[in-house]
Amino acid sequence: MHNTIRCGIAALALTAAVGGAQALTLDEVKSAGYVQGATANEVPYGYMKEDGSAAGIGPDVAIAVFKKLGINEVNWTVTPFGTLIPGLKARRFALAAAEQNISPERCKQVSFTEPNSSYGEGLLVKKGNPKKLTTYADIAKDPSLKVAVVSGANNIDFLRAVGVKDNQIVIIQANADALSTVQTRADAYAATELTVSKLAEGGKDVEQVKPFTDPIVDGKPVRNYGGFAFRPEDKELRDAYNTALVEFRKTDDYKKILTSYGLSEESIKAAMAKNVADLCAGK
Amino acid sequence: MTWTQYLAPLMKGAQITVMISLTSIAFGTVLAFLAGIARTSSNPIISGIAFVYVLLFRGTPLLVQLFWFYYALPLIGVSFDPITTGIMVLSLLTGAFGAEVVRGALMAVPQAQHEAARALNFSKFHTLWHISMPQAIIEMMPAFGNLAVQNLKDTALVSLISIADLTFQAQSLRNITLDSATIYTMTLAGYFIIALGLMLIIRFIEAKLRRGAAFPRSAHS
Repeated sequence: MHNTIRCGIAALALTAAVGGAQALTLDEVKSAGYVQGATANEVPYGYMKEDGSAAGIGPDVAIAVFKKLGINEVNWTVTPFGTLIPGLKARRFALAAAEQNISPERCKQVSFTEPNSSYGEGLLVKKGNPKKLTTYADIAKDPSLKVAVVSGANNIDFLRAVGVKDNQIVIIQANADALSTVQTRADAYAATELTVSKLAEGGKDVEQVKPFTDPIVDGKPVRNYGGFAFRPEDKELRDAYNTALVEFRKTDDYKKILTSYGLSEESIKAAMAKNVADLCAGK
Repeated sequence: MTWTQYLAPLMKGAQITVMISLTSIAFGTVLAFLAGIARTSSNPIISGIAFVYVLLFRGTPLLVQLFWFYYALPLIGVSFDPITTGIMVLSLLTGAFGAEVVRGALMAVPQAQHEAARALNFSKFHTLWHISMPQAIIEMMPAFGNLAVQNLKDTALVSLISIADLTFQAQSLRNITLDSATIYTMTLAGYFIIALGLMLIIRFIEAKLRRGAAFPRSAHS
């Protein structure tokens, strides 16, 4: 019996791919013919359509860039936002294409490409904006207000930076939860401008705060710069991808993808004006 | 999108849910018998291993087990694909709970029968196989039925390690349509229908086993 258990464990171990810390190279990806990519469930940055295919700013650009590199197939995984970096580190996929903001903290964990998009912040509230909110700092002024954020998203940092207390913050798992959350458990949902606008289009009883003032952190209004994340050890793959991405950013096809998801010309220009090294250094 | 358009993706997810549930119930049952019988062994090493296994898997939450196997284990160099991880962890959990069912049912066989078997010079294996097990297995069925349904419902957690099961498909649909009420209601109905099917299968197996028993015994004979 003991032996049977041991055999079972041995059989399981055989099916396990034992991967050390060796890097994944472009050649390996090319000979495999496909690459594993991941995105979070967030319209319009990255999401899965009802037919199971991936769409959104991140996946669409990634598919185009990989095509330039001669890789015609990307196998997409959709995973909760907060598990993108853990999944990357656990070698579940080669890149995360979810327009994650390139922040110094994340740069310590993963290797980002040059920015692919830029976006400001937004607030989703009940229809009519009963609490008359116009920016994140309004929430800090009234300790009885609650604000929802998605687990793992950086909006929580901006809320904290303008003085919102942790007991005012309601953590939710996915964007789709925001609609019912702002009806009941929270007075507002803090997310990016585009996320909020897509949610406001879809929900009848909610609206996007307009005009909205971006929170001021360290003396300047915050702006997020979304990039693709790779594992630091896959430097060669990341560099090849990055070079192709920078080339692709110069084309009209690129702009077409971004504008089709509602990104403005100014946001596209702002993204190209920044570079990843400065963003990782917190500049 | 209307509710009829949700059906196709939800059905696709339901297939994965059924596959994962049936596979992990099968593996879990094997583990349950191995560990349950091992727990009654007089060899301290065998019963010790089974005891630690049952203790660990009964004593920790399934979600954390899944995350540990999916996100933590690869950091020390061992990686299974999502489906394998999901089936493995669910099997181990179901096996741990099932082991206690098996052990309990075996221990409920009156001691006098063991003595009688020994008087007739039955080996330990023969006693187990011909005396204890045929009686115990019928007693296990209602508890196994519970575990099987519990297993089905637990499969919903594998959606969090990126397996496209029924819950995962529901979350994806909700993300693009924002129609939580309809989608969650349909998802509940989906699980309920699968659970009904599962209960029918268990009933069928139990009825078969009872018919095969020469002397259907009462609970406290």
